[in-house]
Amino acid sequence: MKKIFAILLTLALLVGSAAFAEGTIKIAVAAPMTGDNAEYGIGFANAAKLMASEWNAKGGVTVDGQSYTVEIVEFDDKSDSDEAAIIAEKIVSDENIWGVIGHFASGICMVAAPTYQDAQYVDISPTASHADFSKIGDYIFRNNTVIVVETKTGAEMAVTDLGGQAIGVLSIDTEWGQSAGNAMEENIKALGGNFALRQEVSTDAVDFATEVANFKAAGCDVVMVAGMYGTLAPFAVACKNSGYDVKLVGCSNAYTANLINIAGEAAEGIYAPVSFFAGNTDERVQAYVKAYTEAYGAAPSALTTQAYDSVGILLGAIERAGFDREAIKNEMYKTEYEGMSGYTTFDENGDAQKIFTKIMVKDGAFQLAEF
Amino acid sequence: MQTLIGTLINGLALGMAYALIAVGYSMVFGVLRLINFSHGAVYAFGAYMVYFFVSLKFGLLPAILLSVVASGILALLIDKAALEPLRKKKSMPIATLITTIGMSFIIQNFLSIEYIFSSEKKPFPSLNLFESITIGNITIQSSQLIMLVVAILLLAVLTFIVNYTKIGLAMRATEQNSKAANLMGINVNFVISFTFFIGGASAAIAGSLIGGYYQVISPTMGSLIGLKAFSAAVVGGIGILYGSVIGGLIVGVAEVLAAQYLGSNVRDPMAFVILILILILKPTGLFGKKGISKV
Repeated sequence: MKKIFAILLTLALLVGSAAFAEGTIKIAVAAPMTGDNAEYGIGFANAAKLMASEWNAKGGVTVDGQSYTVEIVEFDDKSDSDEAAIIAEKIVSDENIWGVIGHFASGICMVAAPTYQDAQYVDISPTASHADFSKIGDYIFRNNTVIVVETKTGAEMAVTDLGGQAIGVLSIDTEWGQSAGNAMEENIKALGGNFALRQEVSTDAVDFATEVANFKAAGCDVVMVAGMYGTLAPFAVACKNSGYDVKLVGCSNAYTANLINIAGEAAEGIYAPVSFFAGNTDERVQAYVKAYTEAYGAAPSALTTQAYDSVGILLGAIERAGFDREAIKNEMYKTEYEGMSGYTTFDENGDAQKIFTKIMVKDGAFQLAEF
Repeated sequence: MQTLIGTLINGLALGMAYALIAVGYSMVFGVLRLINFSHGAVYAFGAYMVYFFVSLKFGLLPAILLSVVASGILALLIDKAALEPLRKKKSMPIATLITTIGMSFIIQNFLSIEYIFSSEKKPFPSLNLFESITIGNITIQSSQLIMLVVAILLLAVLTFIVNYTKIGLAMRATEQNSKAANLMGINVNFVISFTFFIGGASAAIAGSLIGGYYQVISPTMGSLIGLKAFSAAVVGGIGILYGSVIGGLIVGVAEVLAAQYLGSNVRDPMAFVILILILILKPTGLFGKKGISKV
């Protein structure tokens, strides 16, 4: 009995998968699913599956009048370059994969990207921010902006919206921190603001007494912070404790629950530019946040949302182009996508252009900025 | 001028933080002639214990007291599990030293485990219990004052224990000659355990106060500050309790002055520059006694 059942089951599977294979489009999600950055990779996969299920519910991707089911295939690069290189080879050896979403960190992305480029597989990284990443080739895209664009919105808040008379910049001493800090300085000056003082701290600094005193002495009424929440939060606490009344403007990475957890009351009035805001009252965004929260138990972050949109952009390009890798690539450049992380187009490098939303912390929660 | 005064006050506050940790280093060294590098990790553990008990809805003060006991016990366990077997085997002092470094990594990584506290930074309740004092441009926070008072109290209590109590007498006897002390009826093992317990407890006090001053804690919070506090202890003369407080203040003020006038890049190396200078000019430290041979 058992044997017959097993045989039947196998047959059913075979028939089933054979029927499926004809009408399936595979999309690879390559990101760290275990290890250090697992949180982000799992977010990518979750977002991709959600987007795929939405397409499938509407009948899948239509090419030449025939509809295909979208299937997401996960690959775990463990945040490791060697692993990423192997995965990239694996992906390009599968003819049924029509595009890649990944990887997470710029360094890893840049290891895998040449393989995708050579095999003419479109690769969209939802997160890579290194300036050279998209220059690897014309099949390489990022659904993320380079730091200069992001800090421009930040500087706009500091100079125009908050009307800062003297604006300071605090940056962490990493490569990213320095370039973000420089971008902030340039943007402040470009907008005609009065850039007053730059201070640099180490990544895990918690003692900001000196920096606070210096900003105070320079008369800064707005300080832009090029650091993660781990720097911004204790800095906000230090400002508050030393009675320094200053407005803080962070980067999009400030948009985390941890910022409010750590800084508590001191987080009140921190401003940040973000590509996606879960509290956006737009109906489509609310529907997305609701669907994501129901499926995975927590609201999506900005980076997860960029992965979600990346899948939508890719499927759109495939639907328009059909099963021709070069045509898919050409369609990518014509993208005009009204996504959850804003209206997205790609420039000739394959870098996304995004419009940033201004948000702030008020009453212990993020909300749209009020000035 | 006001900037300079403000800078000095910031430096003294930071120095007090170093002093709080340095006292623990100094105390264990004074009795056991052992540099206990796990002290910085126990300090982080102490801060996390406060965080843990506060999240269980204990008040801040009971949480600190519980953390002091828990950290004392942890330090004691470190000694029992790793150092006592080495002492029994009469292994070289360097083996014990390296073991304490190893223990510090074990504790740090334990705290970083995802399901324990995770490696992310955590908020810590503020110790600004009363209004800060503002004179002109200069603000002195209540948490800074509390650190100052507690550091002096801790120094006084430890000095009292070592110099004026029976157990202190036993500690000093153990330091001078543990075999002879044993023959005189002193329970040397108990004395050593007690010393470790007090060392761990003082680390937890430091962790609570410094955590409350910065209001943020992380599993690695003890590593750099621990090394700087160790330098402070050496600068003041390791083994001399009041020396470590003064050493802490010197390192703290020098660091803040360096950050202010030479740029933030020279900030972190400052403690070690002073350490090297002192070791060249006065190897026993500012207040150190001559004749310290084992390190």
